[in-house]
Amino acid sequence: MLVIVVENAPPRLRGRLALWLLEVRAGVYVGKVSLRTREMIWHNVQEGVADGNAIMAWNTNTESGFDFLTLGPNRRLPVEMDGIKLVSFLPEKNTAETLNGSSEDG
Amino acid sequence: MTEPILPPLKPIPIKDRVSAIFVEKGNLDVIDGAFVVVDKTGVRTHIPVGGVACLMLEPGSRVSHAAVTLASRVGCLLVWIGEAGVRLYASGQPGGARADRLLYQAKLALDDAARLKVVRKMYEIRFGEKPPEKRSVLQLQGIEGARVRKMYELLAKQHRVTWTRRNYDAGNWGSGDMANRCLSSATACLYGICEAAILAAGYAPAVGFIHTGKPQSFVYDIADIFKFDTVVPVAFRIAGRKPGNPERDVRLACRDIFRQTRLLKRIIPTIEQVLAAGEITPPVSHKEAVDIAIPNKEQIGDAGHRG
Repeated sequence: MLVIVVENAPPRLRGRLALWLLEVRAGVYVGKVSLRTREMIWHNVQEGVADGNAIMAWNTNTESGFDFLTLGPNRRLPVEMDGIKLVSFLPEKNTAETLNGSSEDG
Repeated sequence: MTEPILPPLKPIPIKDRVSAIFVEKGNLDVIDGAFVVVDKTGVRTHIPVGGVACLMLEPGSRVSHAAVTLASRVGCLLVWIGEAGVRLYASGQPGGARADRLLYQAKLALDDAARLKVVRKMYEIRFGEKPPEKRSVLQLQGIEGARVRKMYELLAKQHRVTWTRRNYDAGNWGSGDMANRCLSSATACLYGICEAAILAAGYAPAVGFIHTGKPQSFVYDIADIFKFDTVVPVAFRIAGRKPGNPERDVRLACRDIFRQTRLLKRIIPTIEQVLAAGEITPPVSHKEAVDIAIPNKEQIGDAGHRG
């Protein structure tokens, strides 16, 4: 299972994602693809997301059962806590700081 | 803001796709780079064509040029089917053919000894046992015909369906009995998927080994291998229920059986396996051949997909 959520993404990226995945809500895409296809889709997101932001989550063999990648500025930041990936929600005033750096990690 | 440039579209392997989607009414078009069906009330339905092996277009659908272009770029076969899915009118090319594979296939089909080996392998996979030795293709066909008739009778008895023979009038859909209608509908699904797989693997649908003289001869050859494990029992089961909407029920049941038997994962390996039985090495390019000037980009689709 693969879930991609994009915010503020250009229409052409959203259209592109709809070629492989189902857009169940605005900017929320669901599907089931293989590893290589997922990497290919994520590459499309990386190239096309422009000023928007995106997150991709999929089930995998980790303790939590899934993993995710993020791209672009957002108040929610992935943090790793001893091998478990969690999300920190920044207070409003800090948002400007994160706007500069895209937080992409594996 | 500058418009981002998206990476070029590439097909994904057939084995990672869903089997088929049927589109009955509406305009197929491209909106923001996505494949959509727009109906007369303006409702848009996205179709993830990149993840579909073949798109079955029923009467009542209109397709734009952009939609066909997009479908071919993501490697989705378009199949125009007649009322209730029986007839296959035409098809778009989802993949490119590969010359080396075409030559290999043609070489096998032209060499009588190799062709017999391929045909024997087809029957071996299909019936789960080696066919009797020293039989010609014609004799094997006779044996196969008798077995098939027996299977039809057996399945008809099992599901309490009246059965005379496999029969339908392509010009008059309503004329066939329930079992024949279900069978036609079910095999149409299977043919679409098999053709998509054959094209994706880089082979020619017209170059058959058992069947000949039709645009889809090889499709029938390959489909026959899987037919009696998949769609035929399904068709009889549905026919036995005397459904109000046989086509729909058959399609749903076919989708289930395709998933359960992992058909899309098996088709291309089976094609390779059957052809390998011919024991001919794939042709190497001749000495004078001019190499390609610009190397092919790596792609994740199947060998015959146009990247």
